[in-house]
Amino acid sequence: MKNKITFGSFEAICITITLITTQLFLNLPRSMMEAAWTAGWLLTVYITVLALILFLVIERLYRPFEGKDLLDLGEYIAGNTGRIIVGLIFIFFFLYINPVILREFCENIKIIALPESPLSFVMLFFITCMIIAAYAGLESIVRFSAIIVPLIAGGYIIIITGALRYCDVSRITPWLGNGPYEIFIKGMPRISVFVGIILVYFLYPFIRKKSLFKTVGYRSIILSGIFFFTGVLVFALVYQYPTGTENFLPIYQLSRLVDYGRFFQRVESMFVIIWVASALLHLSINLFLIPYVFKKTFKLKYYKPLILPFAIIVYALAFFPENLTSTIELEKHFRNFAWLVTFLLPIILLSIAGFVKPVEKKGAGKSE
Amino acid sequence: MNRKILFFILPVFLTFFLTACFDSKEVDEKAYVVALGFDKGENNFLKMTLQIAIPSKIASGEGGGEPGAGTAITTVETPTLYAGLNMINTYISKEIDLSHCKVVVFSKELAQEGIHKYIHAMVRGREFRGSMYVAVALESAEEYIQNVTPTLEANPAKYFEMNFNSYQYTGFTGDTKLTNFYLLEECSCRQAYATLVGVNKYEKSHEFDNNNSTYKERGRDRPLEGDFYAGQIPKVYDIKAEVMGIAAFDGGKMVGQFDGQDALYHSMLYGTYQSSHISVPDPKQPENFILLDVKQSRKPSHHVEMVNNAPVNSAEIKLEADILSIQSGINYESKENIPILEKTAEDFLEKGILKFLEKTRPMHADLCGFGRDLKMKYLLWEDWGKVQWLKKYAQSKFNVKVELKIRRPGLMVKTAPAKSSEGDVMD
Repeated sequence: MKNKITFGSFEAICITITLITTQLFLNLPRSMMEAAWTAGWLLTVYITVLALILFLVIERLYRPFEGKDLLDLGEYIAGNTGRIIVGLIFIFFFLYINPVILREFCENIKIIALPESPLSFVMLFFITCMIIAAYAGLESIVRFSAIIVPLIAGGYIIIITGALRYCDVSRITPWLGNGPYEIFIKGMPRISVFVGIILVYFLYPFIRKKSLFKTVGYRSIILSGIFFFTGVLVFALVYQYPTGTENFLPIYQLSRLVDYGRFFQRVESMFVIIWVASALLHLSINLFLIPYVFKKTFKLKYYKPLILPFAIIVYALAFFPENLTSTIELEKHFRNFAWLVTFLLPIILLSIAGFVKPVEKKGAGKSE
Repeated sequence: MNRKILFFILPVFLTFFLTACFDSKEVDEKAYVVALGFDKGENNFLKMTLQIAIPSKIASGEGGGEPGAGTAITTVETPTLYAGLNMINTYISKEIDLSHCKVVVFSKELAQEGIHKYIHAMVRGREFRGSMYVAVALESAEEYIQNVTPTLEANPAKYFEMNFNSYQYTGFTGDTKLTNFYLLEECSCRQAYATLVGVNKYEKSHEFDNNNSTYKERGRDRPLEGDFYAGQIPKVYDIKAEVMGIAAFDGGKMVGQFDGQDALYHSMLYGTYQSSHISVPDPKQPENFILLDVKQSRKPSHHVEMVNNAPVNSAEIKLEADILSIQSGINYESKENIPILEKTAEDFLEKGILKFLEKTRPMHADLCGFGRDLKMKYLLWEDWGKVQWLKKYAQSKFNVKVELKIRRPGLMVKTAPAKSSEGDVMD
């Protein structure tokens, strides 16, 4: 099970953060406000703590299975059948969310930057870059993310600090919004915002030191939690409830507010750059994972010939939603249930794997 | 071999993508609107006026310095904002672009009917900026825009920016940027306000009169500098357009108007006050004035208590001032007299502020954000909703405390009399 490609914790953290926090640039601050009204920031803190607790459980359960990803675990439990079932779950999972996110990003680009370009044209740019990235492979994507994520973080910090002058504490009052039940009980499925942590399970075989799995997981959740918290908090401090729930692309709206004198204004152009960079990374890693998981599920020798067909499928599926509203609805459904695959499935698999004897391998899948 | 092929294919491929954006537009293909005005239409819903910048004239100074030479104005009657833009695009050579629009003006008549839908259309639009100002024209928005003919500034966009920012050193208007207006309009604890604009009618200085001043309502025998609404300032100047005062809104409908002096009190209570010159009647010789250069030293603090289910709103305002002029020549700079001057200024401002607040009560217009402080005491939105603050505001009682400290006497530490044949003269 030796991998040719390995990378350190920084690269792994960067790519995981990208996968988790891209929603921040889409509609996360708004959806948190819709869920907890004025206490959206509190909900963010709560789900970050929940995600840390669940990851703690997963990490403990994972200890005896060092270096195995979830497909290996499926095979460990139930042989080929287990591997194929787990693999199919993830293929459908990625095939559902990737076209939705692709469509959402491209629609948003159309709204804010390229209003007159056809959607297919905008999407073509994205899909071309995704294909190139997937062909370049995991190592290139991860190493590129290590360069670009600090830049994205810098741009994000400029936007957030630039909007601080519009903040008013009274806008996040009443402090508990629509009540503790809505935040702490009904808000629990919102843990799905950490769906990107799923990448850590697939990166496990590629991480240089296996002990880094823990570091990458915790740090990614904590750093993403900080990004979520600052974004949701500043947005809520600027746009009170219910005004904030009207806003499409909350962080973009914040970037439009930045206006310091006659020279430092219209920084939303910077937003477009960091936004597209983060979207491309997100979509590229997602597109890479589909053929990679497919290859591993069905024990194929190569994954690269699968990239183009899957890219075409993703491109075609992205046109299925009738409009942006339907796309956002599809994403909402996904977010309601994604925690089942992100947190519950690994816990179930690891719990079962802890009790059963491994099924005899017949040429178990190797991580590339 | 493959790499060599790729090396030749790549530049060919790139030529398709390096020809700029699919929907790119050159800057000189656009007509940049700097001001937008809405009046009630006579034959349709809206009368829309656009002031469009002419960049070539602004840059070259063409027009011989003639006021307003750098802009073109057009008015169209239309059912909606965007329909109007479509109509205008049929007869001007360039495509309208609103990304540099600095001000949107609604006529009072339209504002009284409600402007929420227009504000929403702008917030939804990609081109409109949150930094543009929202204003209400006391008569006609069209007339106001036609009379914006800047003389000191060739760039009309810069004129609007600087003119509407003058509240920072006069206090006679307010920070009424679109973002602020939009947020206040939808707030459950405050109400929105817009800058009042108008067109001055005076042609010659001998025509000046005080009939339209608010000084009588304030119990004064002559107007102070802020006792006017926009368009009524006794002045003769190339530019007939003026900004002075604020319009109060309740749920997107204009419910009242306040003159420059009230706008000053509003900004002191709201916390946007920066500095201005204020004339205070001399405590010992009321026919004379003491002129102070006043600044906000701390943000105002508000406190709201519900007594018998009615709000008691208290505000504490902290100011500091430098002396600009003492007309009576009485030595108020002295250690003994400074407290007298401070007390006089505090009483003068407290009285004015209380009067202003009393006026906001029947309008249900919490323009100063007292509700904000009450809201912070609540844990659950449901409980806050039951308060129905904007409705309850009409039952408010007010307490205002102004603390003004004289810091500096200017470049003189005392006033010596002029010597005349009849003795010492102080006036």
